[in-house]
Amino acid sequence: MENLLESRARLLALLNHIYLLGMVTVIAGVLTAAMTLQYAYGEIPCPLCLLQRAAMFGVCFGILQNLRGTYADRNTGFSLLFALLLLVVSERQTLLDIYPRPGHEYVGTAVLGLHMPVWSVVIALCLLIAFALRLAVLGGNAHMRGNEASTFPLVYKAAGIASLYVIAICAINLVSAVLQCGLGQCHTTGYALLQ
Amino acid sequence: MMVAVFAAVLLALVAGAAQWRRAAVTGAVICLALSVWLFLFEVYSQQYGFTMPWLSL
Repeated sequence: MENLLESRARLLALLNHIYLLGMVTVIAGVLTAAMTLQYAYGEIPCPLCLLQRAAMFGVCFGILQNLRGTYADRNTGFSLLFALLLLVVSERQTLLDIYPRPGHEYVGTAVLGLHMPVWSVVIALCLLIAFALRLAVLGGNAHMRGNEASTFPLVYKAAGIASLYVIAICAINLVSAVLQCGLGQCHTTGYALLQ
Repeated sequence: MMVAVFAAVLLALVAGAAQWRRAAVTGAVICLALSVWLFLFEVYSQQYGFTMPWLSL
């Protein structure tokens, strides 16, 4: 009986880790797509767009802490705070440009009919729903004790690769922000330090 | 300021990967605080403040 409970806890913990790994992979994919639009199609991000990227990296931070470090609710709290920041920033940007007028219109091309800030609202809502579902379906910390991601070698290795990838694209974004904004305000007209 | 936001989140990610728990949390908190400040700075307008009169009917 004890073995059965232990196996169930281990299975739930494994599902939890795979779920988190899936979330971080999706966010990394979204960030990569945004960077592709920036570097391949020359769509320079606006300041609020950059803040939304930073918020997505923050969400990744909480998730990766749970996967690579010790599992704790505090890490989920950080992810939720950054997801809320993403929602507030993207919602405000959507409302800022929702009524086209001189100097205010959605920047960049529409993807599947939606512009970037609207996609960010959708992504933020999906993240919040994903966290809520995880808590509702796989919730509770009891099964996580002693079943950290490090006890599942394959998941731990995949989380390590995801962690390195997220760090790499964050570093690229930092260099890009330095080139675009310098130490002042960011503009979508070009890279300040390259002009 | 945007550079500081990305530097803080990069610090959090790197410190987290290196298991430097305190530095990671510090980086995340700094990033969050700077992001909120920068967001308020960016959306504030001298003409409208934080309001959005173009949404009014």
